[in-house]
Amino acid sequence: MRPCLRGAVGVAALLGAWTASAADDPPLFVPPPPGSYALPAIDRVHEHMLLGPDGGKAPLLGLAPDQVALVSFVYRACGDACPLALATLQRLDRHLAATPTLARRVRLVTVSFDPSHDTPERMGELARGLGPHADWRFLTARDEASMAAVLADFGQDALRAGAPDAPAIRHVLKLFLVDARGDVRNVYSSGFLNDEILWNDVVTVLGVAR
Amino acid sequence: MQPTRLVVLVAALCALAAPARADETCQSPYLQKLTAQEDFVYVWTLGVDGLGDGSDKLVTIGANPARPDYGKVVSSVSVGGRHEAHHGGFTDDRRQLWMGGLDDSAIYVFDVATDPAKPKLARIQTDFVEATGGVVGPHTFYPIPGRMLITGLSNATDGGGRTGIAEYSDEGRFVRTLWMPAGAEYGYDLRVNANLNRMLTSSFTGKKNYMRKLPELIGDAEAMKHFGDTMVVWDYHARKPLQTLAVPGAPLEIRWALGPRHFYAFTASALTSKLWGVFRKDDGSFEAVELAPIGDPAKTPLPVDISLSADDRFLFVSTFMDGTSHVYDVSNPRAPKLVHERKIGSQLNMVSQTWDGKRVYFTSSLLANWDKTGADGEQFLRAFSWDGEKLEPLFAVDFTAEKLGRPHIMHFGQASFFTGRERPGGEAPQEKAPPDAGPRVARTP
Repeated sequence: MRPCLRGAVGVAALLGAWTASAADDPPLFVPPPPGSYALPAIDRVHEHMLLGPDGGKAPLLGLAPDQVALVSFVYRACGDACPLALATLQRLDRHLAATPTLARRVRLVTVSFDPSHDTPERMGELARGLGPHADWRFLTARDEASMAAVLADFGQDALRAGAPDAPAIRHVLKLFLVDARGDVRNVYSSGFLNDEILWNDVVTVLGVAR
Repeated sequence: MQPTRLVVLVAALCALAAPARADETCQSPYLQKLTAQEDFVYVWTLGVDGLGDGSDKLVTIGANPARPDYGKVVSSVSVGGRHEAHHGGFTDDRRQLWMGGLDDSAIYVFDVATDPAKPKLARIQTDFVEATGGVVGPHTFYPIPGRMLITGLSNATDGGGRTGIAEYSDEGRFVRTLWMPAGAEYGYDLRVNANLNRMLTSSFTGKKNYMRKLPELIGDAEAMKHFGDTMVVWDYHARKPLQTLAVPGAPLEIRWALGPRHFYAFTASALTSKLWGVFRKDDGSFEAVELAPIGDPAKTPLPVDISLSADDRFLFVSTFMDGTSHVYDVSNPRAPKLVHERKIGSQLNMVSQTWDGKRVYFTSSLLANWDKTGADGEQFLRAFSWDGEKLEPLFAVDFTAEKLGRPHIMHFGQASFFTGRERPGGEAPQEKAPPDAGPRVARTP
């Protein structure tokens, strides 16, 4: 069976499972509180013009001076890491929606690795399935060359594998916290994907009280 | 919103994508793993005056018995000159291999993705001392997402043991320096336990000591007082020291247990020849516990590198002076049992085992001025099989006969690891505008 993100059902199931896991499994550490640590710039990424679900041009970041973005790359045929990234962003989306003072200052961005298959329409389907409550954007590129430039800029690896009719892109799950200057303030991978740390980092970079 | 145990869950899911593994077990949890038998062992090698070209070099050794280059030198890249080649590590995507020189603090970045059989020197990072504000002697190169953490051994002010940790982006941009805390100023190794958000560091000695000839150093009682005797527990995410542990006698390499519920690490103290455990207590703090002697401490066997198997059962400990590998069963981490010993050579330092634990590689060199001389100064890479009971030879490469030098740290590579791993569209990375976080000082060879 081809693994897929054909709708939000799989993501919702994962989200439910993880929520239950959280209740059963107390955290092994208390994340440092926001503002108690520094997140210096690691790298700087450029603005990239991609395509939104309506097929129109949309900036990858497009941030106002007081905003930050959390960016992750997925593809809809992905069966391993991508649901984790989406579920993480969905939890953040819900939390942001319940925190109006921050909601307008944080943009969540999901970008497809696979513009050949993940058309704007299909990214729109994904968005509708996940039902964003806050500012969560779903983007793809015009073609693979355009996406290659984005991935190179972010330092996001990607491995083309699988048959032509069942594409697979092996990659390391990464989320990027980017400020309005384009400075990457943190990178998260499967080894350290923790909702509270993500949230605290956002608050730290924005410099606001929790 | 409460965090879940995503670390374990994601790691488990990612593991499902890998049909088989072969990799040293002591790498960063953020590093991509190999998915089959290793084809190559990359060996960072100190140059020897009058031997070959005399320069430090990255040597690639064939390690797959199914390939014609098994047990042979596949390629060699000299960096020009001798810099006290010592340790190094991959970036998290495994595309770059960063190798350091303890003498001049230069960092050599090799591209191992374009042709894993023939690594290429991509750039030389020359800003380490200046950018870090005086950290000297880049030692452990530890990949985290998008960055490298690099421990120092010394400082530019007095060449003593006060030092720090540098953080660089994968592209070689300096991010920040973390100086070791008061009372625990020495540095050596660094390892992260992502599940616990804890980082451990250990301690050795400064440049004034590690660049001296060993017999001369041992005879200098005052100099011998200047070795580290601490480990530091850090809040990894905040990069802040939390706790200093007393571990007398220069604790060197650190190995966290890999089991998701195994909240402990091992180290070996070089000067006192003791195996130590660092255990998480119920309150979340840590304690350092002396576990067992290594060899006969009265003979100062000088334990150096250690390697823990993926199932947390076997711990390999190399002792330099007698060239012996000591294998402990650490199933009960507070009561290690010595289960096997084998003399590997006249001197012994680094040990790297595969993820499946079936192959163990050893090299001989410690430091240019600490290595033995004459007939006892043999320089080798020796590969052994491990069946859970004993080490048996597989192949050996004589680095002197091959006119290569003194072999030190090893990392594994695979010919097909990057096949198809090009970015969709295949475009090369772009040059980026620098952030304000610091200079980028590098030169192309």
